[in-house]
Amino acid sequence: MTAGPHKAESTYGAAMAAAGRSLWRKFGVSPVVGALILVLVILIFPPLIFLVKTSLYTTTFTGAFDKFTFGFYGELVNDPLFITSLRNTAVYAMGSATVAILLGALQAWIVERTNTPLRKYVFLVAIISLGIPSVLYTISFLLLLGKTGPVNQLLDFFFATGRDGINVYSMWGMIVIEGIDFAPLAFLLLSSVFRSTDASFEEAAMMSGAGVLRTFRKVTMKLALPGIYALLILIFIRAFESFETPAFVGRPGGIYVLTTNIFENIQVDEPPNFGQAGAFAIALLAIVWVLLYWYNQLSRRAERFQTITGKGYRPRVMDLGPWRYVTAGVLVVLFFVIIGFPLGIVLYASFQPFYEGVTLSGFSTMTLENYYQVFKPGSFRDAIVNTVILGVSTASVVGPFTLLCAWLAVRRYRGAWLLDQLATLPLVFPSIVMSVAFLQVFLESPIPLYGTLLSIIIASSVRYLPYGMRYSYAGVLQIHKELEEAAALAGATQPKTFLRVVAPLVAPALMTCWIFVFLVSTKAVSIPILLSGPDSQVIAVTMFDLWENGQTVELAAVGVSWAVFMTVLSTLFYILARKYGLKFE
Amino acid sequence: MRQRAKNPTTWPIAGLALGCLVAFGAGEARALTAQEILNYKGPDRQQMLVKGARKEGKLVIYSSMIINQMLRPLTEAFGKKYPFLEVKYWRGSSGKTFRKVTAEMRANALAADVIEGSGITGRIVKAKIAQPFYSPELKAYPKIIRDPNRVWATTRLRYIGGAYNTKLVAKAEVPQTMEDLLNPKWKGKIAWRAGTSSSGQMIVITTLLLAWGDERTETFLKALAKQNVVPLHMSNRGVVDRVIEGEYWLAIGASAHHPVISARKGAPVAPMLLEPVPTLNATISILKGVPRPHAAMLMVDYLLSVEGQKLLQKQGYLPARPGVPPAEDLRQIVPSLVGKKEFFVSPKALLTTTKKSKKLAKKYFR
Repeated sequence: MTAGPHKAESTYGAAMAAAGRSLWRKFGVSPVVGALILVLVILIFPPLIFLVKTSLYTTTFTGAFDKFTFGFYGELVNDPLFITSLRNTAVYAMGSATVAILLGALQAWIVERTNTPLRKYVFLVAIISLGIPSVLYTISFLLLLGKTGPVNQLLDFFFATGRDGINVYSMWGMIVIEGIDFAPLAFLLLSSVFRSTDASFEEAAMMSGAGVLRTFRKVTMKLALPGIYALLILIFIRAFESFETPAFVGRPGGIYVLTTNIFENIQVDEPPNFGQAGAFAIALLAIVWVLLYWYNQLSRRAERFQTITGKGYRPRVMDLGPWRYVTAGVLVVLFFVIIGFPLGIVLYASFQPFYEGVTLSGFSTMTLENYYQVFKPGSFRDAIVNTVILGVSTASVVGPFTLLCAWLAVRRYRGAWLLDQLATLPLVFPSIVMSVAFLQVFLESPIPLYGTLLSIIIASSVRYLPYGMRYSYAGVLQIHKELEEAAALAGATQPKTFLRVVAPLVAPALMTCWIFVFLVSTKAVSIPILLSGPDSQVIAVTMFDLWENGQTVELAAVGVSWAVFMTVLSTLFYILARKYGLKFE
Repeated sequence: MRQRAKNPTTWPIAGLALGCLVAFGAGEARALTAQEILNYKGPDRQQMLVKGARKEGKLVIYSSMIINQMLRPLTEAFGKKYPFLEVKYWRGSSGKTFRKVTAEMRANALAADVIEGSGITGRIVKAKIAQPFYSPELKAYPKIIRDPNRVWATTRLRYIGGAYNTKLVAKAEVPQTMEDLLNPKWKGKIAWRAGTSSSGQMIVITTLLLAWGDERTETFLKALAKQNVVPLHMSNRGVVDRVIEGEYWLAIGASAHHPVISARKGAPVAPMLLEPVPTLNATISILKGVPRPHAAMLMVDYLLSVEGQKLLQKQGYLPARPGVPPAEDLRQIVPSLVGKKEFFVSPKALLTTTKKSKKLAKKYFR
């Protein structure tokens, strides 16, 4: 600024006034936005506050808050357990993210960039696997890779390793299982990256004499790299906060990560060590926060590598010639690894009177008893009904709610930026942390919510708000404002415009959002595990308990029944998606 | 959502109404309090309980009994006897059950009418959260497993032993004493349950501390730690299942009746008893603020009755009531019948010693 001192003074005054006005404008919000902000604040802040409070109090014999202390944070620094579990978490998350991305990228490339037969079905497989609870998935791999599993039997047959061929209860076991579990998600997200790469770069490489492999390495991969990095961090975060695999695979091998430590503080220690769990949870939350910040930075930078430009963009598949049968073979193998074998062994176990590994004699002792137990009236049936209610309610709350928030934010209604920020905030809560936090809220709540299905629906809705925001935001962005302006000119009120113009236009995005939230909320165990009571059992928790109680064969029957149900549902979703062009990535 | 929670406004109103009734001398018309229902001894006790339970319409039991073996058959039989009741169960270890009910009480949303398990007794006595009750069935039970304060009653016995996989371990090799476990051939092949108080790691250590004293126990544990005994975070039923699968050769600190029940279905597993054999009593209790006292009392009566105890016998659990002996194939795990030294760990001893056991477990096994 080149003005003199007097001028500066008056500019200063004007600037202050302008700042005051904009501040007022910033906080002067429309009633709808205000109401939504209030709802979000009520939903998100009590758990956060209780989480902090939890980490600052010791616990009495019966689990109530006792004395104020900073001791749990002091322990964090000195506790070798915290340091080891932090290191374990990092190794495990990095490893499984790498495995997931290798598998996902391979599939995505084959599906999107080559003319391999069968490639279209990979989407169906991915969507089916999204609906299989991680608990079931993890357990099926324990059956496959355990001492008596078919893998060790084969190793023994060929190399006479006895029963000690491989020990799945180890770090590599955790990495492989979690990596395979996340591979379908990696595939879905990466297929969009590969799809949006301009094929002309690859054609140029091929014309210059590079082979398929070289082109893949030097061009396709290089172009996809920023997207892959961002995805690597995303899956790293998801694995960082994952619970099922560390609980079932890590703990028997003595390998603890942050989430299993939090779980044990509450579910195994006596009296429950809420304080330490709280301190661990806050530490986990802080780490995820930093990682997410990094992820956002990276994915913003990834946009610079966008190759879809104004000039004729044609995604084109490569003709692999006879090699396409090899890639088809790869897809078939991956199908078996990701879905075929895990579901196969669970199916086998579900017909057994007791589980004793896969044996020939097992085929002659098959029984339907386990299925009878699942389908007769009682707890299993209740759990299935509860799970469907949970999924439908959560998806139906999150979908429309985030759609409204996203629309207000995209259209820059006053104060709506805060809606966007608030609705994305739960992303930093790992599920188990969210569960701990809501547990404290419901325990202290004057309204008796603890142990009810409603409490699980509330916690799940908050947990999956960010996912809903992501889909809704993308959906709303695609609609140009002029349609709404036309509606307004024709005399429609704002609510009417939203319902009659915006909502129908974003219906496909809303539908995708609904499906996704339905799938993830019915699949997760870490939210309901600390919240469910005898009247609010859900499938994932039922399976968790069945495994702990040693009812492997009934667990298998529940798992198969649920997987069949979800497969039918997923196939319907898939058909819907193809018909209406929904995109899951 | 479907939980039958008490409407918080009804209590003050009920209190006010009660106050008015007492003031106007209409005392005999009032409803019984939970405390009175639980201790009712009148001749019309059964009719009163049934009438009240009919209104309550539901019973919720928390127990550590394994669902398919005992808890589900129990609730099904009970539901058949009282068809107007919707019977719900939740299964958890005693520790988990204790944490759950105390949490529920904190949230003012106690869902459980009765709680049952072997590690729960000492905890609820210490926390002073149970209420005394009377059942006509109680007098049939011996004094050693009866509570003078009547806040718990013994429902069944547990002999803690182990299991071995019969395909992997020959009968002659089966360990007979605790010291036999130190044989190098068992290294990495033994599993036990981690955590909790009344099974696995903890009950083994607690019993040794009580029977052997500190020094001998610690020397033994030091040696046992070198055997890489695998800690599993699951019920001891689950640990036995891993032995059936062949993941481990031996399980220790497990309920000795579990392998017998599996062997009935043809599973390659058998029980083993290691001296001193820990004996525990599982108990049933009713907590303060019980939501459905009539139904709760009916369940207590049923489980203690000859009919209930015979159901335990049939399912392969160990009845506590004299006159109802264990099933034929379970006699092999009753120490007194096979000439083994048994060691009764009372609820109080279990609670007070577990603290020390946990320290030792942390020192040597984690």
